[in-house]
Amino acid sequence: MVDQNSNYALQTSEVYVHYGKKMAINNVALNFPKNEVTSLIGPSGCGKSTFLRCLNRMNDVIDICNVKGKFLLNGNVDIYSPDIQVETLREKVGMVFQKPNPFPKTIYENVAYGPKIHGIASSQNELDEIVKDSLHRAGLYEEVKDRMDDIATGLSGGQQQRLCIARAIAIRPEIILMDEPCSALDPIATAKIEDLINELKENYTIIIVTHSMSQASRVSSKTAFFHLGNLVEYGETGKIFTKPDKEQTNDYITGRFG
Amino acid sequence: MLYLSLVFVFILSYSFYFYGKKRALSLKFKKNENLSSLPDYYGYYVVLLVFFPAIIIWFFLLIFKSNFQEMFVMSPVLFPDVATWSSGKFGLIMNKISNLSIIVNLSEIDLTVGDKSILKMASESEIIAAKNLANFDKIYGWSNLTLFIILPVLLGFLATKSISGKLNAQPIVEKIISYVIKGSSYIAIFITFGIFFSLVFEAINFFRYVNFMDFFFNTAWNPNRAFVINASEGFDQEALKEAFGFVPLLTGTLLIASVAMLVAVPLGLLTAIYLAEYASSKVRDIAKPIIEILAGIPTVVYGFFAALSLAPFIKDVGEGVGLPVSAESALAAGLAMGVMIIPFVSSLSDDVIKAVPQSLREGSYAIGATKSETIKKVILPAALAGIMGSFLLAISRAIGETMIVVMAASLRANLTFNPLEPATTITTQIVTSLIGDVEFDNPKTLVAFALGLTLFVMTLILNIAAITIVKKYREKYE
Repeated sequence: MVDQNSNYALQTSEVYVHYGKKMAINNVALNFPKNEVTSLIGPSGCGKSTFLRCLNRMNDVIDICNVKGKFLLNGNVDIYSPDIQVETLREKVGMVFQKPNPFPKTIYENVAYGPKIHGIASSQNELDEIVKDSLHRAGLYEEVKDRMDDIATGLSGGQQQRLCIARAIAIRPEIILMDEPCSALDPIATAKIEDLINELKENYTIIIVTHSMSQASRVSSKTAFFHLGNLVEYGETGKIFTKPDKEQTNDYITGRFG
Repeated sequence: MLYLSLVFVFILSYSFYFYGKKRALSLKFKKNENLSSLPDYYGYYVVLLVFFPAIIIWFFLLIFKSNFQEMFVMSPVLFPDVATWSSGKFGLIMNKISNLSIIVNLSEIDLTVGDKSILKMASESEIIAAKNLANFDKIYGWSNLTLFIILPVLLGFLATKSISGKLNAQPIVEKIISYVIKGSSYIAIFITFGIFFSLVFEAINFFRYVNFMDFFFNTAWNPNRAFVINASEGFDQEALKEAFGFVPLLTGTLLIASVAMLVAVPLGLLTAIYLAEYASSKVRDIAKPIIEILAGIPTVVYGFFAALSLAPFIKDVGEGVGLPVSAESALAAGLAMGVMIIPFVSSLSDDVIKAVPQSLREGSYAIGATKSETIKKVILPAALAGIMGSFLLAISRAIGETMIVVMAASLRANLTFNPLEPATTITTQIVTSLIGDVEFDNPKTLVAFALGLTLFVMTLILNIAAITIVKKYREKYE
């Protein structure tokens, strides 16, 4: 049963995902507490990214992907209901991808893209403010303030990823999904993103998929371990990494497989 | 027989590959020799030594077949004074003999009265020569085949014998192959330059008659005026000034190409967007090749479609609304041409739209953009350079197109920008200047080269622009 507790930003239950005939997610139920960071960990192909992409319906794009289950936003909005427009859902649930994917536009245009589409700013001044504020929150403003009109693809990988985060928060989402946001970055850029995640959780609920267990332990308060499409274990991050209940989890975090 | 021997060479080379490789392997495993190259290379080594000498001799025999034929038939034994004959007489006798060779071996019953009288008039040595000629193909073919059996087989066995562990076949094979590859590309380059320089030299000849400035800036095109002159006085310089004005041809070309682009750009681009973004992969797999067929239809078919269906239709419609439309309008030619170049735009644009990384689409969707916003604001700007490249390629195709204009537009130069009037193009005038009795000693025919050169430069510039733009686009994502 889905708990009607409004302390959860997102509640899911009985989630099944199939790619054609192949099962990718098998009966998963997970709740994500508000303003906390939840990590999804597990070996490659365990379904954690697939599960993440269900949360803002990014799997809609894939023809053969079939998603079933209950997904409740803020305890009352069924995100797969036919009444819900996927665009308004994604306005509330933003996403940052594994590989930085800035548009081949200027830095300013990249951040302004979402606010323009959703009509968030009432004036050019307000739009400028939103762009500035978003870049600021993403910790990028100081680095790019003098070259807002440069093409974004000229930034370094770490800067591009922070730009993508700025782009995601510019439309003021409630939840930010991050799909291995640091896997294409060097350790310094990774550290910056992790600091950023720690700051962002004040205002946003963050769900992050990661391959790095040290990253999961550094940034998240809750951790869910996936294996072969099943949710094996979910709990406080400290507990999962020190004394997990399941042997499978223990094997994974101690590096015995995966 | 000559072609049969070619097949034989291919089969022989192929079998020698296995023979050479087998020999190398037996050295390795039975005699414990270390091979300097991989076993395959010994196979290639033998193949190349069998194939290339044979193929060179084959070409030689093919090209000089008629020379051998003449040597064989016109032997001094039959015609003692053959060395003193003029080439005209030689040709006549050769013709006579080749005619005779058709009937010389027929039996008495099959001969017509005419045949019999021809045979009666022929000299004895001519009859023998004719009989020889009738047998020539057979003899020649068999002798070739013998040559082909002996030479390659001999070479093949010698090459195989020469294989030893010390022979490093790989660099030899690679060197020969690199020469072959180099040679092929040089042939293409050589031909390109040959065409270009023949255009340049003949164009220079043209500009001896006609002033450079007159050609490029005069607005009257009446090449036939160059001949309303007294032959004894040479060309009338005043008439020449007025005859070759390039401007109406340029405007005609641009007018028809613009009409074509007005058709092809919107239809092609929208088709590309549909195919790349909206169509299911099933529809795309079927629709794309069908659209590409448009580019494969012979242009002469578009030509009569434009001339016989489109032009009368446009004329009727135009007259229906009270517009004066000529029977041969630039509009009809441009519309047909536009349909022809749709696939240039749609196919190339489809490819570049497809090449926009999926991550950009997802990035846009993840911000809550709809599909159409994503296409308009992210995908098309990202693919813009490639799309522009496809437009430029389509334009250069439209400018170079001839047949449709010859059939549907007009041959009369007309300085106009009204698509309802007739117009002519550069290519069309090249065709008309070379039709009929062609002598390359007067400006009326030589102008074809000047026009050709101008056209060549125009399309070259467009192609370079297109390639540069497409390249720039590629660098962005790679």
